Amino acid sequence: MIQANNIHKTYNDGKVQVHALRGIDVEIKEGEFTAIVGPSGSGKTTLLNIIGGLDAPTLGEVHIGDTNIAQLSENELIDFRLNHIGFVFQSYNLIPVLTAKENVEFLMLLQKRDEAERNERTTKLLKAVGLEDQINKKPNEMSGGQQQRVAVARALASKPDFVLADEPTANLDSKSTANLLDIMLRLNDEENITFVFSTHDQRVIDRAKRVITVEDGKILSDETK
Amino acid sequence: MLLKLAWRNIFRNKRRSLITVSSIIFAVLFAVFMRSLQYGAYGNMLKNIVSSYMGYVQIHSKGFWEEKTLDNSFLLGEINQLKNQEGISYLSPRIEGFALISLSETSKPVAILGLDPALEKEHIKLDQKVIEGDYFSDNKNGLLIGKGVKEIMKLSIGDTLVFLGQGYQGSIASGAYPIVGVIDLKTPELNKRTVIMTLNQAQELFALPDMVTTAVVGINHDDWQDTQEKTAAAIDTNRLEVMNWQEMLPELKQLITVDQAGGTFVLMILYSIITFSLFGTVLMLTEERSFEYGVLIAIGMEKNKVIQVAILETILMATAGVIVGLIVAFPFVLYFNINPINLSGQMQEVVERFGFEALIPTSLDPSIAMTHAGIIFVIVLVVNIYTIVKIKSLNPIKAMRK
Repeated sequence: MIQANNIHKTYNDGKVQVHALRGIDVEIKEGEFTAIVGPSGSGKTTLLNIIGGLDAPTLGEVHIGDTNIAQLSENELIDFRLNHIGFVFQSYNLIPVLTAKENVEFLMLLQKRDEAERNERTTKLLKAVGLEDQINKKPNEMSGGQQQRVAVARALASKPDFVLADEPTANLDSKSTANLLDIMLRLNDEENITFVFSTHDQRVIDRAKRVITVEDGKILSDETK
Repeated sequence: MLLKLAWRNIFRNKRRSLITVSSIIFAVLFAVFMRSLQYGAYGNMLKNIVSSYMGYVQIHSKGFWEEKTLDNSFLLGEINQLKNQEGISYLSPRIEGFALISLSETSKPVAILGLDPALEKEHIKLDQKVIEGDYFSDNKNGLLIGKGVKEIMKLSIGDTLVFLGQGYQGSIASGAYPIVGVIDLKTPELNKRTVIMTLNQAQELFALPDMVTTAVVGINHDDWQDTQEKTAAAIDTNRLEVMNWQEMLPELKQLITVDQAGGTFVLMILYSIITFSLFGTVLMLTEERSFEYGVLIAIGMEKNKVIQVAILETILMATAGVIVGLIVAFPFVLYFNINPINLSGQMQEVVERFGFEALIPTSLDPSIAMTHAGIIFVIVLVVNIYTIVKIKSLNPIKAMRK
């Protein structure tokens, strides 16, 4: 379970202080398929970064399971992200010199998992995202939709507690978006994988099971469908 | 996986990697060739003057080197105990004196070197320096004259030179000896003033029975300092002195030191250029990759591992550059070792005025190549400090925002 209590985030933009988040309380349970929505600059990406331990709140605490991530050292936090959180980025951010298979396998290598397990899981995940015939292709040989599906497989490779996706469909066409959402929803339904993503894409919002709307750094609404 | 990542990253921007590797190749080639030429020149000087003439270590009667008179001679029997000493391959007794030589109406003061022909033939291959006439045969009377002496006095083989000088304890040294050969001592100054005769002839000429002024200590290893110390320990140092080539030829030592400093300065400039070139590459590489490093750290790769990949990348390029640089440098160095650069014109005059042969062969000493390969590696590691600092302080959110 993810629990964020009274999260504030203030940036110094030159001489001006920007209040990106102004006291957010949110709880996300295992198996949820949650979209954090809002216009640009509303604070949804900042919230996602703080939940993912990539950014620290100015005030407030984030608990993932029993861990207060603010108390972790830099290396512990990196290790925590590796073992507990999967990331999907807007621009896919695959490692350009590695093939689809190697990109998926990468986090498992960092986790020092044995070769047999790595091979088995990589094959399973690439099959799950429909790319079993593209395993030896490098990112620049794949379409944006295919790259984002590899990114989802990579995010799941380390067996994380949940996956954070920052605007995962922003660079995808309608067909690829639908395809990606089908995959994520299926993984959510069948394997109970928790997905939390920021988006302002209506196609994603329509299919999310819970929608948290953020505006001006505050939660405006929280609806479960 | 880290190695695979680093290796493949090199081929991501082939042009940049090629420029980096090329700059390293050039640096290694230039540094190795330049240093080989420099050390080759020193080696040639040492070979011509020290190992093929004076020896690395000599024994004299105390005070001989400051005041080269025959009165500062010593009995050969005083150093007999050295013949079986460890580290000494031979002892070559010599007499170094001065006399006026004349032929018809031409005279010239010369340095006379009396030596054991058989020993000098065996150990310093003196016979191979004879360029005209014959080497001493059966210790018969005769002279080898420096080719410069021949030219100055317009002498020929078979001419008999008349000697007049001062012998031991004020005696008159006089004699007449035929020229049997002309010798090239590879050092213009020596060639202009040296006349060589057998030790027996010199002892007779200068009235020095069983005595010598100098004993060249032949060494069978490179550590002449050790031989000098052991030799000094084995003889009566109240009577005799043991000197090394640097003490006997301080000007040569100084020349080498000054020239080395000049060479080092040029190399420092070269290495500064290479350092900045490599730093430029590392700077670009780090800036370009900061987004990617941010992603890697965000998804759970420890910063130390990211640093390892970045450093491995530059080390792989440096390795390739150094190896290719050494491979490219080798034929150049080998060619100029076999075919030394023959200075001509003004350069030749200047070099010969200092008393050296106007030939510069390159040195094949592998330590030169290894040293410069090592320096390149150190430079690579030093410039990577920037990458280390940059990655250590990297904020993944800021890096990915770029």
